[in-house]
Amino acid sequence: MITLEQKQFAQIKEMASHYDRLLVLGCQTCSAMSFAGGEREVKELASMIRMERKISGKPGDILEDAIARQCDPELVDLIGDKVRGCDAVLSLACGAGVQMLAERFPDKMILPGCNTTFLGVTEELGVWSERCAGCGDCILDKTAGLCPIARCSKQLLNGPCGGSVNGKCEISKDVDCVWQLIIDRLARLNRLEMLEEIFPVKDWSPAGHGGPRKMIIEDLKS
Amino acid sequence: MTRNEPSTEIEYAPCKLACPILTDAREYIQLIAERRFEEALTAIMSQNPLPRTCGRICTHPCEQVCKRGQVDEPVAIAALKRFAADGPWKDRLRQVLPKASSGHKVAVVGSGPSGLAAAHDLALLGHTVTVLEKLPIAGGMMAVGIPSYRLPRDVLEADIRTIEDLGVEVKTGVTFGNDVTVESLTGDGYQAIFLGTGLHLSRRLNVEGEDLPGVLKGVDFLRDVALGKPVTLDASVIVVGGGNVAIDVARTALRVGARDVLMVCLEKQEEMPAAESEIEEAREEGVAVVNCFGPKRFLENSGRLSGIEFKSCTCVFDEKGAFCPQYDENELTAMDADTVIVAIGQAADLSFAEKDGLTVTRRGGLEADPITLQTPIAGVFAGGDVISGPATVTKAIAAGKRAAVSIDFYLRGESIPRSEPAIADQVASLPPGVIERTRQFARSKIAGLPVEQRLSSFSEVGPPFSEDLATKEALRCLHCYLGARVNKEKCISCLTCLRVCPLQVPTVSKVGEITIDPFVCQACGMCALECPVQAIEISLDPGGEIAREVEKAIASSQHLERLIVGFFDLHGNFAKKDLKGLREDYPNVLPVMTFGLRRIDRSDILKAFECGADAVFLAGCPPNRDPFPEAGDRIKRRTAHARTQLEAVGLDGRRLEIFDMPDEGLVEKGSITELIQRIKEMEPSPLRVRR
Amino acid sequence: MKSGSSLERILESGQFAVTAEAGPPKGSSSKVIQRKGDLLKFCCDALNVTDNQTAIVRMSSLSGCVLLKRLGVEPVLQMVVRDRNRLALQSDILGAAALGIHNVLCLSGDHQKFGNHPTAKGVYDIDSIQFIQMVKTMRDEHEFLNGEEISGDVPLFIGAAANPFADPFEFRVIRLAKKVKAGADFIQTQGIFDMPKFTEWMKMVRDRGLDEKTHILAGIIPVKSVGMARYMRNNVSGLSVPLEIVDRMADAKDPKEEGVKICLETIEQLKEVEGVHGIHIMAVAWEDIVPRIVEEAGLMPRPVV
Ligand SMILES: Cc1cc2nc3c(=O)[nH]c(=O)nc-3n(C[C@H](O)[C@H](O)[C@H](O)COP(=O)(O)OP(=O)(O)OC[C@H]3O[C@@H](n4cnc5c(N)ncnc54)[C@H](O)[C@@H]3O)c2cc1C
Ligand code: SF4
Ligand code: SF4
Ligand code: SF4
Ligand code: SF4
Repeated sequence: MITLEQKQFAQIKEMASHYDRLLVLGCQTCSAMSFAGGEREVKELASMIRMERKISGKPGDILEDAIARQCDPELVDLIGDKVRGCDAVLSLACGAGVQMLAERFPDKMILPGCNTTFLGVTEELGVWSERCAGCGDCILDKTAGLCPIARCSKQLLNGPCGGSVNGKCEISKDVDCVWQLIIDRLARLNRLEMLEEIFPVKDWSPAGHGGPRKMIIEDLKS
Repeated sequence: MTRNEPSTEIEYAPCKLACPILTDAREYIQLIAERRFEEALTAIMSQNPLPRTCGRICTHPCEQVCKRGQVDEPVAIAALKRFAADGPWKDRLRQVLPKASSGHKVAVVGSGPSGLAAAHDLALLGHTVTVLEKLPIAGGMMAVGIPSYRLPRDVLEADIRTIEDLGVEVKTGVTFGNDVTVESLTGDGYQAIFLGTGLHLSRRLNVEGEDLPGVLKGVDFLRDVALGKPVTLDASVIVVGGGNVAIDVARTALRVGARDVLMVCLEKQEEMPAAESEIEEAREEGVAVVNCFGPKRFLENSGRLSGIEFKSCTCVFDEKGAFCPQYDENELTAMDADTVIVAIGQAADLSFAEKDGLTVTRRGGLEADPITLQTPIAGVFAGGDVISGPATVTKAIAAGKRAAVSIDFYLRGESIPRSEPAIADQVASLPPGVIERTRQFARSKIAGLPVEQRLSSFSEVGPPFSEDLATKEALRCLHCYLGARVNKEKCISCLTCLRVCPLQVPTVSKVGEITIDPFVCQACGMCALECPVQAIEISLDPGGEIAREVEKAIASSQHLERLIVGFFDLHGNFAKKDLKGLREDYPNVLPVMTFGLRRIDRSDILKAFECGADAVFLAGCPPNRDPFPEAGDRIKRRTAHARTQLEAVGLDGRRLEIFDMPDEGLVEKGSITELIQRIKEMEPSPLRVRR
Repeated sequence: MKSGSSLERILESGQFAVTAEAGPPKGSSSKVIQRKGDLLKFCCDALNVTDNQTAIVRMSSLSGCVLLKRLGVEPVLQMVVRDRNRLALQSDILGAAALGIHNVLCLSGDHQKFGNHPTAKGVYDIDSIQFIQMVKTMRDEHEFLNGEEISGDVPLFIGAAANPFADPFEFRVIRLAKKVKAGADFIQTQGIFDMPKFTEWMKMVRDRGLDEKTHILAGIIPVKSVGMARYMRNNVSGLSVPLEIVDRMADAKDPKEEGVKICLETIEQLKEVEGVHGIHIMAVAWEDIVPRIVEEAGLMPRPVV
């Protein structure tokens, strides 16, 4: 899933302060799953903004809504009337959702209420961690199913570096050294010899360094 | 049966399912837990016309199936009903008003539970009802069968009076078949008749010497005692029979002078039809029980009974479980007795039937349709023991209620519906893991009267629950079918519910579909609160309800200078008077009661502030009373989070507090006073709209 | 000769080499480097100029190298992949060659999180092993990473770092082998305090015959105080400082003297380890001690090549 976190309230407050009638719009998919912007957080955040405005004597109405996803035009269009009826939308979706809104509502200011954090997994309730960097050219076959691009602090393809100690990364005792994990897993799989090969330089163009990415499936598109 | 299959079955809590009149015990149990006793009684009365009576002598099949029983012991449902029905609030209850008069007149024959229930419901429907009773007192077997030490007469009378208050006329000393007939009643303008005449003849043993003086009949004996006829026994009494009636006979015998009472029955101890608890109480009082003997003949000495000879009974039931006693005629035992009371069953006195052209069945009962209770004679309905054979008060009430519905349709000239709701006939089992994870709480027990005191009178054996005990007991209910329901259209398969459930009730399929077994769920509320898309609805204390209560409480307290919303866990050890005391001592505190603080979301807290509260506190129950103590830490962290949210909007975080309730009472005075002091030192809430 | 650097010549001729570190300043003055150059000129065969060490911004290592070169000191150009992508690395390599710099040490670099710009974006386009391989290809095949031809020679003696004390231990030699395979002509190791572990590692190195394919210079860190010993023991990942060393420093009347003594003992032992072809002294903020250590270790005078 894509993980998100809600922005600090101070930041939200600031960016929203220029608009009287504000729609707080949740996204009921990844954002909800990250507890950043589902229906529940919409309710909470709207209440906070209302209180803050009342305290500081600012005017304005705070509307609440949530849609299944903000990254699809058809879904976004469903709340068109509501959006047109307010001065700005505080989107609690990821950056993609915010931009889809901006695209569909060219005359409306769309504000991001969340930070898109990473592509990751749920370790347990309330704990997520990064797993994939979306590099566009998956190498997990060569690294025992553990991604050094997303999980090695230095994105080493021929790790581990000299900072790996007791299975932890040099940057923090709380971060696993993924190369240690890769070695452990290869040992289990009896494929340690894979490490003797020098991993060649990576082509970063599919990772976004080749310009904004787009994907087309010819037989699907209209 | 598996619960998870889509089914058209109505989901009834086991307790309701087991009750012949489908009493929603859960409903009034919850109300008792919330210390809303009057409402509990209202709820009972809307379902049961004889609440006080049933609270004492109902055989409570609900308890046998109570889900709590799968964990430890069933909820003491009967005792709770008696508690609710008996409390001082009963006199404050407002009488339910019948519908406007329909102009129809109905005669009810027999004032037993079936007749009274029919009369009650018919009266509510606006019909004019007259109850005709052969005996000088009303109540049927409740009055002349069930001894008063189990059901005090004034309790029964009070119930009957409530029915009379609906406009029902009860005429005693009127025998149907003699004093009135179908014809005469029709002539008098009665358009329908209900026959609930019960079973008032004792079954005979049909052995030699049965008509000797000194041989008494069980129900006759009880009736005579009940009607105050001079019945005194002395010396030794043998009671033949092993059922509940025999027990009542034996215990009554002790109360009218018998020195030794011996119960002799065919069945082995564990086969005896009498309830175990009843046998136990009888033994406590000195009744001896001898098993596996069947009477062969009564022994005579100079024209009077001297004893009874028994043959040994080798086996009572056949392979199919049908009653089919086998004897060893060679093994005979004689026992001396001054009196023998035969209590082996009852039969109907249908002497009126022939005259009135009613059909008697092979089993000696009246013929009637089992669902509509119509007899072959138009406008005549029948129900209760006389149709079903010996049953129970609640079954008789059920029959009376059903008859009322049929009669109402009949009177309105409509065809009587025959459909019955499809309900499951079996209670599902809880998964072992859930049983293990469910916290056990011992069933509240109260000591009965000491034996000497019991025997010296007919005063009631069991004392009632105190308020404390009743609420504690009510809080043991596991809220069957009041729990989480997933709105599958909204669910995004995030698995939060599955991860957060302390009992691990939710399950997920390969395609991500969440299933929450509504029987297994205990309505703790955690999943409904945490579900990020709010796809879970919960019936017990739903979140939206809590927020509304907060709003209401604040809106109605605008005259107060400072407002403090206090969320209280109902599991705390407090009484109604503590609530009153809170209101008096701390008028600024607006209490919002919930079944557990785990139900209070941050948004509820924020809501309170948004509505203008100066402070909010959460008072959690003492850990030893918390059914889900594992949630405690999460609640604290959630509250801490809410505090940072308050600070972010510019409110002092010290306006929000969480504390534990004391071992007794609602609040630790110190903490409340401290909070109030703190609030007073602050500016009033900037969010309060002053009028 | 691959590069013609004096370090290469000394090592190839089988002599015991001595290198040391000369960190550039957090400023634009050339004096600091010049002072360090003058100080270390006669006791070292080459001086490493660090590249934004511990991710703290300093004068670029290439400029430091040029300044040293002007003094007649042979520099080792340290380069980390943290701050430059493949384009920048290759262009700097070409520049170094043009400026007559003949030694390069290819490194990953300490993570930017530790430095004085922790919010920086790390580059890490290629890793240190790929970097070594890239420089070797530039030198030997006259080819850029993309296969295009390079005009002119790129005579560089290629170095790499090795840390025998990082985890997983068994993998450390494999990684060294990869670096050698990629093209590392010489290796400078992490500072050595834990001699048993180092000798164990060296045995594994010899078992693989790596000591014959590359020159291993063992790292020496002079310890000034017990505080420093303790700090390195507890806070520097990939450094193994036995408790014994900390205790010795703590008990010493004159900790600096004790530090020197420890260095000298270590060097003495290192000389005996088969496959160790030299030492690399990292006297951060204590460069003044280096001449004395080299002198007392009996490594003076340095050969002239
Ligand atoms: C000793 C004893 C103890 C019991 N204990 C319990 C218990 O603890 N809990 C429980 O649930 N059940 C108990 N029962 C069973 C329960 O009392 C009966 O199932 C229930 O009372 C049946 O109700 P009914 O309305 O069908 O008939 P009844 O209660 O028998 O009422 C019938 C009424 O009709 C009257 N009647 C009969 N013929 C005529 C006529 N021709 N004209 C006018 N009136 C007439 C009778 O006098 C009587 O008042 C007990 C029964 C007995 C005998
Ligand atoms: S310690 Fe491991 S994870 Fe961290 S930078 Fe080095 S190799 Fe990568
Ligand atoms: S747990 Fe409560 S609702 Fe369930 S059967 Fe028992 S009393 Fe009824
Ligand atoms: S918590 Fe809500 S959205 Fe998540 S799986 Fe459960 S029901 Fe579905
Ligand atoms: S309400 Fe409580 S017991 Fe029921 S499914 Fe949800 S978390 Fe589990």
